[in-house]
Amino acid sequence: MDLTPWIQAFDTSVDAGMSWLTDHGGAVFDLARAMLEGTFDGLLAGLLLLPFWVVSIAIGLLAARSLGWKSGLAAAFGMVLCQAIGLWTATIETLCLVIISVMLAVLVGVPVGVLSGYSARLTKVLDPVLDLIQTLPPYIYLLPAIAFLGYGPATAIVATFIVAAPPVIRLSALGFRQTPVEFIELGEATGAKPLDAFLKIRVPFALPSVMAGINQSLMMAFGMVVIAGIVGSGGLGETIYGAIRKLDIALSVNAAIAIVILTIIIDRISQSIGPQVGEKT
Amino acid sequence: MPGPVHRDRPHFISDKWEAKMTSTTTTTAAPLVECRNVWKVFGARSREAIAAIREKGLGKREVLADFNCVVGVHDASFTVAKGEIFCIMGLSGSGKSTLIRLLNRLIDPSLGEVLVKGRAINGLAAPDLRALRAKTIGMVFQNVALIPTRTVLENASFGLEVQGVPPAERRRIATDALTRVGLADWLNRYPRELSGGMQQRVGLARAIAADPEIILMDEPFSALDPLIRRQLQDEFRQLTKSLGKSAVFITHDLDEAIRIGDRIAIMKDGAMVQTGTAEEIVLNPADQYVADFVAGISRIHLVKAASVMMPVADYTAAPVADLARTGLDADIDALIHLVLASPHQAVAVAEGDALRGVVTARTLLEGLKGDAAPVAQGA
Repeated sequence: MDLTPWIQAFDTSVDAGMSWLTDHGGAVFDLARAMLEGTFDGLLAGLLLLPFWVVSIAIGLLAARSLGWKSGLAAAFGMVLCQAIGLWTATIETLCLVIISVMLAVLVGVPVGVLSGYSARLTKVLDPVLDLIQTLPPYIYLLPAIAFLGYGPATAIVATFIVAAPPVIRLSALGFRQTPVEFIELGEATGAKPLDAFLKIRVPFALPSVMAGINQSLMMAFGMVVIAGIVGSGGLGETIYGAIRKLDIALSVNAAIAIVILTIIIDRISQSIGPQVGEKT
Repeated sequence: MPGPVHRDRPHFISDKWEAKMTSTTTTTAAPLVECRNVWKVFGARSREAIAAIREKGLGKREVLADFNCVVGVHDASFTVAKGEIFCIMGLSGSGKSTLIRLLNRLIDPSLGEVLVKGRAINGLAAPDLRALRAKTIGMVFQNVALIPTRTVLENASFGLEVQGVPPAERRRIATDALTRVGLADWLNRYPRELSGGMQQRVGLARAIAADPEIILMDEPFSALDPLIRRQLQDEFRQLTKSLGKSAVFITHDLDEAIRIGDRIAIMKDGAMVQTGTAEEIVLNPADQYVADFVAGISRIHLVKAASVMMPVADYTAAPVADLARTGLDADIDALIHLVLASPHQAVAVAEGDALRGVVTARTLLEGLKGDAAPVAQGA
């Protein structure tokens, strides 16, 4: 059986759908793009306004606070190294992309995760969608994003958001689903209102899992943000992409080092934030 | 299977003596908790199963066979009086945990009615139900359920916190409750720093801090080692009595039920097989199941003079006036001492000034051995 006509018809309708969306939803996408780029530019300008050593010390202190002074020193030194290899601006751009994408992922992912934790039916619908998102190669998401939002950081942020959201949703849902049954009974048996039961019983038990989700999300975002260099995201991703095109091995290695430094610092800091149940003294 | 046996009189007298005994006191106050023919059926077809139970009077086995539904609670009826500690004893799977959850509607009954302070709780709206749980019925859980991120004090004040009691006030009340259970020095510790027994004390303090009239105890001491368990049993009984609370206490341990309960209900396969005082159940088991259960129970502190004495008229060995006297509540242990000390090896049992019977070495031995009715002959 020849399926070609059907496949062609499918492709045509997808294309038609896309152009219909760009034609009719143009204003919406322009607004989204303006908002995303505005946020990005604002955050970036703010961070670049400060001298590199102020930002380095601030990150060092943040690391020192949650991980000890040795880690703080190492983090500050790593940031200074990014400046020393001439990639300060790109590093900060990447940091901004990751922060905005993950903030969006948390803003959307935690509420969805909470709902999914309460509703088995939502989980049933959501699971295959998340499976699909996580199975497809991540750079696929650049295509629709670039079609709607054009070349630039907005596309990178949206594509990164799509990749970064699933872990937050999954692990938030898991955290809220896993509240031990005796504690749910405790809430009911003491006559707690639903909101109190949520805030005082569900949240403390779910928090470690939610934090793990945010950490995972950050790691996914770092991976994606480099790939997004291809759509003109700016930052280290674009540096690497440009270096590859020019076969500038040294520059691409430098950019890779900056990525590794930034990733490790953010990973360690985000892992240490949030109460670990039963470990607080 | 014989139907459930309900004996609601607080004092038990063996059948043979029943006619001669007149000292039955009855509780006059309205029951605090009342269960009326309560059923709980679990399963996808529970609705049909309930209809069949209601119309055709199906039993547990038929419900499982016909509807593939498990009967958790099988036609349970009982009352708990104010100030009473009511123990529900049964092995795992007997439905006792389900039953206790019907009392504060953590589980809704499939059929039947639960009344708390004379009010049916089945149809309560959510805010009323919350108020009932917050103010009238406290609960203590088998696995304690202390929130690990909260200190002992914060855990004990949890119930007050969700009721909206101001911080200073709830701190004071919770501290007071923790002091009562002997944890005044542990207020700012975390649960993981406490032993199992201490954790369960926090659970108890949390329940009494909300000042409920009834405390539901869901196998609270099962996971503790024997020595701590006995200590907590005694403390719990003392505390409940001194505060004038009522309690429904679930346990799988008959010794615990006897130690704590004013009355005991024995559950088997979701049904209440027998309800009565410890003495009543041990001396007069309703069926073989209960008889097997109580076979190993030491009667020495359980059986009272009223159950091992013979009628005064049947005692001829010595003038009754010469015998030392004791009360109806003297247990076998005390009676043994009295009988051994007596030159006539007998002791008279009196209620006030009136003689009720005579205990001799022979009636004591028979009482210990477990024959329900002592032979009416002198020693």
